[in-house]
Amino acid sequence: MAKDECIVECPTGSAEQRFAEGSAGSLIWLSALSLVTFFLFWAAIVHFGLISETLLASPEDVLKTFCSKLNDRAPDGATLGQHFESSLLLALTGYFSAVIIGVPLGLLMGWYRKIDELVRPVFELVRPIPPIAWIPLAILWFGIGLTAKAYIIWLSAFVPSVINSYFGIKLTEPVLINVVRTFGAGKWESFLKVGVPAALPMVFTGLRLSLSSAWMTLVAAELLAATEGLGYMIQMGRTLARPDVIIVGMLTIGFTGALMAFVLEKLESKLAPWRKQ
Amino acid sequence: MSTPSISAGRNVQIIPIISVLLIGVVWQLLAASGYFGKALPSPVDVVSQFIQMIQEPISGVSLLGHVWASMFRVLSAFFIAVFIGIPLGLFMGWNKKVEAIVRPIFEIFRPIPPIAWIPLAILWFGIEETPKIFICFIGAFVPAVMNAYTGIRFTDPLLIDAARMLGGTRQQQFREVAMPAALPAVFAGLQNGLSLSWMCVLAAELVGAQEGVGYLIIVGMNMSNPSMIISGMLIIGAVGAAIAVGLRFAERRILPWKREIAQ
Repeated sequence: MAKDECIVECPTGSAEQRFAEGSAGSLIWLSALSLVTFFLFWAAIVHFGLISETLLASPEDVLKTFCSKLNDRAPDGATLGQHFESSLLLALTGYFSAVIIGVPLGLLMGWYRKIDELVRPVFELVRPIPPIAWIPLAILWFGIGLTAKAYIIWLSAFVPSVINSYFGIKLTEPVLINVVRTFGAGKWESFLKVGVPAALPMVFTGLRLSLSSAWMTLVAAELLAATEGLGYMIQMGRTLARPDVIIVGMLTIGFTGALMAFVLEKLESKLAPWRKQ
Repeated sequence: MSTPSISAGRNVQIIPIISVLLIGVVWQLLAASGYFGKALPSPVDVVSQFIQMIQEPISGVSLLGHVWASMFRVLSAFFIAVFIGIPLGLFMGWNKKVEAIVRPIFEIFRPIPPIAWIPLAILWFGIEETPKIFICFIGAFVPAVMNAYTGIRFTDPLLIDAARMLGGTRQQQFREVAMPAALPAVFAGLQNGLSLSWMCVLAAELVGAQEGVGYLIIVGMNMSNPSMIISGMLIIGAVGAAIAVGLRFAERRILPWKREIAQ
């Protein structure tokens, strides 16, 4: 399953590049027209009352709410910046602690048969359980504070980073390994000098999957047990029947996720330029 | 996609068994030590709770009934997503104009995690079946579209040129070359979509439901019954794994040529 995810994940980036090349001229106008139509249609169905304003806010209301939420605490008790900060802090805490443990573990599992056999059965037992299913247990164990959420996010980022590092190093070209062996490198040295660099592209795929998984799990955790954060904000928007607040929250969540993925991609092309397309 | 390593060491199968046994023993000892109190039930407790759950209905619905309630939501959403998403993705990949129209809108929605739709879905559709199916639909729809799209875009141009040279019409090129070439990617999208849907139904049920596997673990939480939560989690994991295995089996039957393409 993990390998399937990767194989689909990898080409997406270059598809976007291809798309950018192909969309010159009139196609750009077509795209612009489509976007304008979309927003006009959205505004129209709200203005003409086809959908009640308690169910859907118009685009300009969303924009207005976005601007006022920047420094207004109403209606959910914190500004957008505060929600954003608390969500980001939580997500990054869980994410980095997962990556720091998960990537080395996956690499070592892929390289040393003994570690693989020891860890893999346990890992395979835990893996099919979606991180979201841990939420009730985490709440029971840790309460609804920071620890429970950090634990769930950690779990959600941990699994993809282990799996992708594992497969990345497993798929190292055997010729490369044999070459360093021939030149007299030991197991550890060939791991560091060949295995790790060869696995790096897959490791990065894992980091990307981990990040989107962590971000999604964060929202779930905050929907269920939080007193601040973007997930809490959209949940409050629902309670107060304020679709504009919900939509502002959803767009912030989506935009932040996309931005983090973009940063990671830039980082990847810096750190692993030998990644094959 | 066979995992390369699983059957690698048939002669040294002792370590995995030791590892699992060790975890079981450590878990049992930790639970028996009483240090964590009621929060950590022993494996024995979990098994007996599991047996009890099979025998007695929970909130008037049997265990299988809960699993089926969740499955029903996932499957109905999944089929709707497949019927809309795959043709949309294929046309987006094939026709530059369709792509130029649909893709910008799609790109606005794509980065929003399906779970972030839950509050809006509840606001729109109440707390009955519809919002849950809607969430699962979004979970399955995005990968279905993306993979069908990527699959078509990555068709070997040589194949299409060959079909054109042999006199294939544009439609024939699409139906007989591009579509089969995209199928492996489409199938990978279905796998991702279905497992994402399974996760989404869980989240939706945690937020509010009267039956389903998510409801099961929420009941466990409300009753402070960790062995019930853990039983529920194991069921969720088992169903998820069964879905993945079933799809992989289906793939091998439907797409026997995939292995050559993927490797």
